[in-house]
Amino acid sequence: MKENRLPLRFLRWFCPPALYEGIEGDLLEQFESDIKEFGEKKAKRRFVWNVVKFFRPGIFLRNRISTHIINTIMIGNYFKVTVRNIQKRKFYSFINAFGLSIGLAFCMLIALYIQDEREFDQFHANKDQIYRIEEKSFDTWRHDAPDPYRRSAWLQTGLGPVIKEEFPEVEYVTRYNGGNSVIFRFEDKVFTERVTYVDKDFFNMFSFPLIRGNADKLFQDKLEVVITPAIATKYFGDADPIGKTIEIDNNGKKAFTVTGIIEPPPAQSSLTYAILLPQENRNYYERNMKNWGNFGTPTFVQLRQDASQQSFKANLDKTIEKYMGEMLERWRKEAAVPIPPDAKMLEYEFTVLPEIHLKKEISWAKVSDPQYSIILGGIALLIMLIACINYISLSLTTSASRRIEVGVRKVAGAQQSQLVYQFSFESLMLAVVSLVFGFGLVILFLPYFNEFTNKSIGLSGVKILQLLSIGFALMMVTGLLAGSYPSWFLSRFKPASVLKGSFTSRLQAGFTKPLVVLQFALSAFLIISSVMMYKQMRYITTKDLGYDKDQVLVIPTQAGWGEESNRVVEQFRTRTQSEPVIVSVAGTSLSFNQGYSRYGFKIDGEQKSVYVYAADPYYISTLGIQLLEGRSFDANIPADSNAVIVNEALVRDMKWTDPLNTYYNWREDTVGMGARVIGVVKDYHFLSLEQKFEPMVLSMGKDDYLTTLLVKVAGNEVADGLARVKTIWQELYPDKPFDYTFLDEDVAKQYNSYKRWMSIMGLATGFAILISCLGLFGLAGINAVNRTKEIGIRKVMGADLRAIFFLLNKQFVVLAVLAFSLAAPLSWWFISKWYMKDFSFKVPMSWELFAISMGAGLLLALATVSYHAIKAAMLNPAQTLKYE
Amino acid sequence: MAKEYLGEFEELVLTIVGILGEEAYGNAIVAEIKERLGREVNLSAVHVTLYRLEDKGFLKSRMGGATNARGGRRKRIFTITNAGLAMLKAMKEARVDLWKLIPRLNYDSILY
Repeated sequence: MKENRLPLRFLRWFCPPALYEGIEGDLLEQFESDIKEFGEKKAKRRFVWNVVKFFRPGIFLRNRISTHIINTIMIGNYFKVTVRNIQKRKFYSFINAFGLSIGLAFCMLIALYIQDEREFDQFHANKDQIYRIEEKSFDTWRHDAPDPYRRSAWLQTGLGPVIKEEFPEVEYVTRYNGGNSVIFRFEDKVFTERVTYVDKDFFNMFSFPLIRGNADKLFQDKLEVVITPAIATKYFGDADPIGKTIEIDNNGKKAFTVTGIIEPPPAQSSLTYAILLPQENRNYYERNMKNWGNFGTPTFVQLRQDASQQSFKANLDKTIEKYMGEMLERWRKEAAVPIPPDAKMLEYEFTVLPEIHLKKEISWAKVSDPQYSIILGGIALLIMLIACINYISLSLTTSASRRIEVGVRKVAGAQQSQLVYQFSFESLMLAVVSLVFGFGLVILFLPYFNEFTNKSIGLSGVKILQLLSIGFALMMVTGLLAGSYPSWFLSRFKPASVLKGSFTSRLQAGFTKPLVVLQFALSAFLIISSVMMYKQMRYITTKDLGYDKDQVLVIPTQAGWGEESNRVVEQFRTRTQSEPVIVSVAGTSLSFNQGYSRYGFKIDGEQKSVYVYAADPYYISTLGIQLLEGRSFDANIPADSNAVIVNEALVRDMKWTDPLNTYYNWREDTVGMGARVIGVVKDYHFLSLEQKFEPMVLSMGKDDYLTTLLVKVAGNEVADGLARVKTIWQELYPDKPFDYTFLDEDVAKQYNSYKRWMSIMGLATGFAILISCLGLFGLAGINAVNRTKEIGIRKVMGADLRAIFFLLNKQFVVLAVLAFSLAAPLSWWFISKWYMKDFSFKVPMSWELFAISMGAGLLLALATVSYHAIKAAMLNPAQTLKYE
Repeated sequence: MAKEYLGEFEELVLTIVGILGEEAYGNAIVAEIKERLGREVNLSAVHVTLYRLEDKGFLKSRMGGATNARGGRRKRIFTITNAGLAMLKAMKEARVDLWKLIPRLNYDSILY
């Protein structure tokens, strides 16, 4: 029978006492008959199992009534004591509530962020049937990498119609090209607009509601346009837009009829648009339809309800064979590097629509890295942890004042479990207060948070409810977590020793020291990380890029890819020559951070690649690029149309010793020797600082059109210069919109996401420091109070202010140094693994950085604790000792 | 009848308590159900049902005398109340009434 004691103890724990005997008897009787039937061993197992089966709501919920009564009796008292305690120690309560509310607010914001990420594209009714097709092709430039494949969502233009035509399991297909800029003209209104090219199935596949127009009839004619209400108002005002014709200039003017009005896409949509045009209107559409080697068209399909993914995949494989089999074989033979026979040249894969937002390996306008959620969540948890540590260490160190209360309660009959319950109740009360404040903070900070994270999260009724329930769950967890150790610690006091007064007033809660170290290490981790991020950002924004990016206006010629653009540049330059505010005008194919064009070709059987920028004779001088050897282009030398200026990286790559006497055959000219090299420029950062210096040429060839104007305006008169340029533009080209950007802003924009992370980290660090300093301040105060008498005696014995100051702060300095030495390697690892890994140009990591962070942190900690140390040291010992 | 309703298992336990008279307690009910219906039921399920029926007023319970078996623990003896009997009866009648409404034309071979 002895073996049955444990299960029966369990039974007694949850079973209502009134029922206990009857149940226990029945179980034992069962056990006895089981022994006869199955033998002792099995009977014991069955006994345990039978007891466990009694642990069901029908039994243990019968307990509720009795405990309920006890609790409500005591809750009133607990509440009163809690309120009194908060009032008695306003400052500590404030520290705790402040820290917890900031922690809770952070957690709630991050929860909103994570939820928003997960809700992407969930609003489509057919979301589980819609797939984005992706290509996976062998990448000869990375042929020795472990995964030598390139993945992208850009496909052949002809693929969509083929799928629609030949695949039985596909219901709808649409191609989707966003981002092309064209000129819109309606009466006197002329603007450049970004348009999106889709197929007619678009309106049936996706759940973007049509306000006007019939989804089944749209885009049957290719000169139709569907717009959002905002665009309609922009051009037509209050007039009815349906049936209006608008002139669209996209390499030739055509008149389009508005046939539909569509709701703008919600923020949580991977597909965006403002103006929809049929795919057939894309430039070179007919040519691209025939060319299966040109990848430029994302394609979405909707499978039928009963279609299998396997047969869809099999059909895609067949399509590759049918339309590209020969071409791929040729590519394989002609490839610059031998391609392993088992590697496929090209394969199609597909991803279901709701998953594309977090599929970071395939580039897409709004794609996001799931890592962001993890890092943000980690930061929120760190802050929460710091706040919880404040609560724990402050409760422990102030527990002296609760000791008598615990003793009296125990004498009056309170059990330890009741005291645990009481103290947990107190921490929960505090957490409730913090939750209210935290919720306020969320509402207050949400707009800034949206700005930081580039999101547009709003607080609708449902969201608020969700947020409250998340907050409530968090509150329960943190309240109980933070309260568990203190309540266990406090409830353990022995009433006899407490009430006899044998306890000294000095506290020896040794557990607080590791907590403070942990808290400080977490703060130090955040400090060092954000200092490193800040230094890297500063390095990037102030680094000399090798060209002069200031006061340069970037203006698209709006004249298409052709001779016309070159003429615009020439005309504009001639017209502005006499303007004093305009220093110089140059033309180029692409300004920085507006994309790039990269050529791949073979020289002597070797695979090479080069970035190409069209330039005119004024390019190098306008941008202040340093010419190392040779000369710039000259308009008067006709041979310069077949000449290039190269950068140092290209010279290194080609291993030239005398670059000015060489020819660079980058167009794979079989007749001539290629372009003559007339100059070498010093390497400058035409790419972002994430990339190394890559080979680049500037070319003035006939096929390189100058589609972008670079206008440098005089030093102190940027505003004047801009106004003047605009006036001249409107005078020369009244029918073309004047779009401009500043070159330095374009360049800075590439680092927006890094900057955003730096701000988030900085904000988190600020709060972490604030919370932990408040905690430290409280702790130092208690520490000083605990040692009042000691200080008094020391002063009487002749200690001076400095010695006492030193005495009180010594331990904090030791703790802080310990924490920093823990945090430094950790943050170094984190930052180099995450933030810096994408940069080719990094700020050097130096010991000074750690030393500065540590010094600053230590100084801050010292400043925090010194207030109490000085106050204690200044006290007149006569005052502190007279009560002894 | 309309207000209260018994589940199938509740009705079974209530009936067995009626059958066992003064000897109805947990194990006896489990054994009786096994013997009469060949159905294995769990002791805890029977207990929970007994307490629920007691809550509803169809059963009442008292502690029986101690015996040497079962570790000297007393039995909780259940007896059916008048309300319980009335309930059983009402349920039986309602079922018989419904039973009569099944058309007999084609089902004779199955039903009788």
